Amino acid sequence: MNEMASERLLIEACRSGDREAFRRLYELHKDRVYSIALHFSGNESSARDIVQQVFLKLFTRIGEFRSESIFSTWLHRITVNACLDEHRKQRRFISIDDQGGEEEGDENQFIESRVTIETDYSMIERSALVRRAVGRLKPKLRIAILLKYFEDLSYREMAEALGCSEGTVASRLNRGHRELAGLLEALRGDIK
Amino acid sequence: MIWNHVTKDLSAYVHGELTPDEARRIGEHLVGCRRCRHEYDEIRFGAEAVRELKIVSAPDSIWTDLEAALDARPDKKSWASALFPLPAFSYALAVLAIAAAIGFAIFRQQTPPATDTGWEVTRIDGAPAIGDQRIASRGRLKPGEWLTTDSSSRAQISVGQIGEVKIDPNSRVRLADASPGTHRLAIEVGRMEAFIWAPPRQFFVDTPSAVAVDLGCSYTLEVDRRGAGKLKVTLGWVAFEWKGRESFVPAGAVCLTRPDSGPGTPFFDDASTVFIDTLAEFDAARNDTEKMSALDALLPLARKRDGLTLWHLLSRTEGGARGRVYDRLTSLIPAPAGVTRRGVIDGDRGMLDSLWEPLELGDSSWWRLWKAPFPAPTARIETTTDNN
Repeated sequence: MNEMASERLLIEACRSGDREAFRRLYELHKDRVYSIALHFSGNESSARDIVQQVFLKLFTRIGEFRSESIFSTWLHRITVNACLDEHRKQRRFISIDDQGGEEEGDENQFIESRVTIETDYSMIERSALVRRAVGRLKPKLRIAILLKYFEDLSYREMAEALGCSEGTVASRLNRGHRELAGLLEALRGDIK
Repeated sequence: MIWNHVTKDLSAYVHGELTPDEARRIGEHLVGCRRCRHEYDEIRFGAEAVRELKIVSAPDSIWTDLEAALDARPDKKSWASALFPLPAFSYALAVLAIAAAIGFAIFRQQTPPATDTGWEVTRIDGAPAIGDQRIASRGRLKPGEWLTTDSSSRAQISVGQIGEVKIDPNSRVRLADASPGTHRLAIEVGRMEAFIWAPPRQFFVDTPSAVAVDLGCSYTLEVDRRGAGKLKVTLGWVAFEWKGRESFVPAGAVCLTRPDSGPGTPFFDDASTVFIDTLAEFDAARNDTEKMSALDALLPLARKRDGLTLWHLLSRTEGGARGRVYDRLTSLIPAPAGVTRRGVIDGDRGMLDSLWEPLELGDSSWWRLWKAPFPAPTARIETTTDNN
């Protein structure tokens, strides 16, 4: 039985309230959802919150899921919304206007606000620097980058998950990659 | 021929999202266009860098919490399929139950857990100890426990999933708080190197005379037996605070702290020795006369780069002294429009924020972030003799 057919059976079982099926569906997706949530929020507590909200929503609304749709698309959309909701919630507690002006038109905006990562990185794990740099991207750029690299989605799938056009996906990824390049200047030469 | 640049398609090109004809067109363009080739290199570098991110396993406890939330629902057996055929009032009840379950789940996460998990400690050299137990390879530092290194041992602490702290020889640190969303160490004596990749204000270190608040950074912190400390930031920013006295320390800068007066005024580590010594005299001054004398000597020594120090001195002086600091600062770095000498002397917060901008140390959102309320330190560490 292929993976998609197997997942379909799991979803059917979930619809009838089979707890073991929930568990297996959760196990299939939990690590990638958690990774996206962790790298998006930057802290374990928020990531746990996001994962819990994603799967609670998923399990309680699985009756709405139509079998002709692709389950992963639905899951990605719920994940994106949960991440952005968590971000909005956090903003209410931290009075920093770091998320303004996220329209696609202003390609050079990040250059104004970036903080260059420099010096003494040799003692620091490379991936840790990348995690930090990703954490500094604006939320819409960050979630696009995370979806691309943790879920390996096509631009069309990303557009569906993010609720935008493929052109917007391309623009956000362009900006995200360029901003990361600027933030990770110190690693140039280490990463091929 | 119209020469269209291809920058907007470069991520799609890197990701293989284009048709063969589009990809060929872009490839041909890149051969002849230096500007787009530079953009392509940037995007490819960014794309390669982000591949360094690794999948992280979700903690097992999430499922436990999720099950608890599901069990809190009124109809456990067939809740999923039962939701939609229900009459309106039942549907409303179900929605309320879900909201309650989510609230319960969030409450569980925000409530301090049983504090038996702690943070992982890895031996680097020698024989570091948690309490009186030597660490052979790895150990677990639980809240309230002390990690001690002797003259030949070093250890690394994993700060939850947000960073790492290396503990150098002859150090003594305590895990003060590891409840969800809180990461707090206390250092009594010794030296530590912290690297934190979480957003600002997730990691705190208590010292006997200041609290170091991570604003997204890498730094070293040393504390001597008297409780005096030295913070040196290598990446990002750290706020250093104690009893209303605050310093904001960017990469390349240093801030000293003393048990009797808290954090001193930060300075860049490439400042002249005489500037640093004179600044130390100012910070240690016991009265206005001593303070003015140190200020007289200090101000002419300041370079443009010492604007960081002068800006902090504005909040450590009053009246005429503040006016003199303002004069020196604005002679090195012109004040932005709307900022007046009178306003700064009167302590106008907006003007002080505006004076920060031309220092080119990041926009004032950092300042606003810094000024958010600090969590209270768990307990002040008294300078004690080592019981070990």
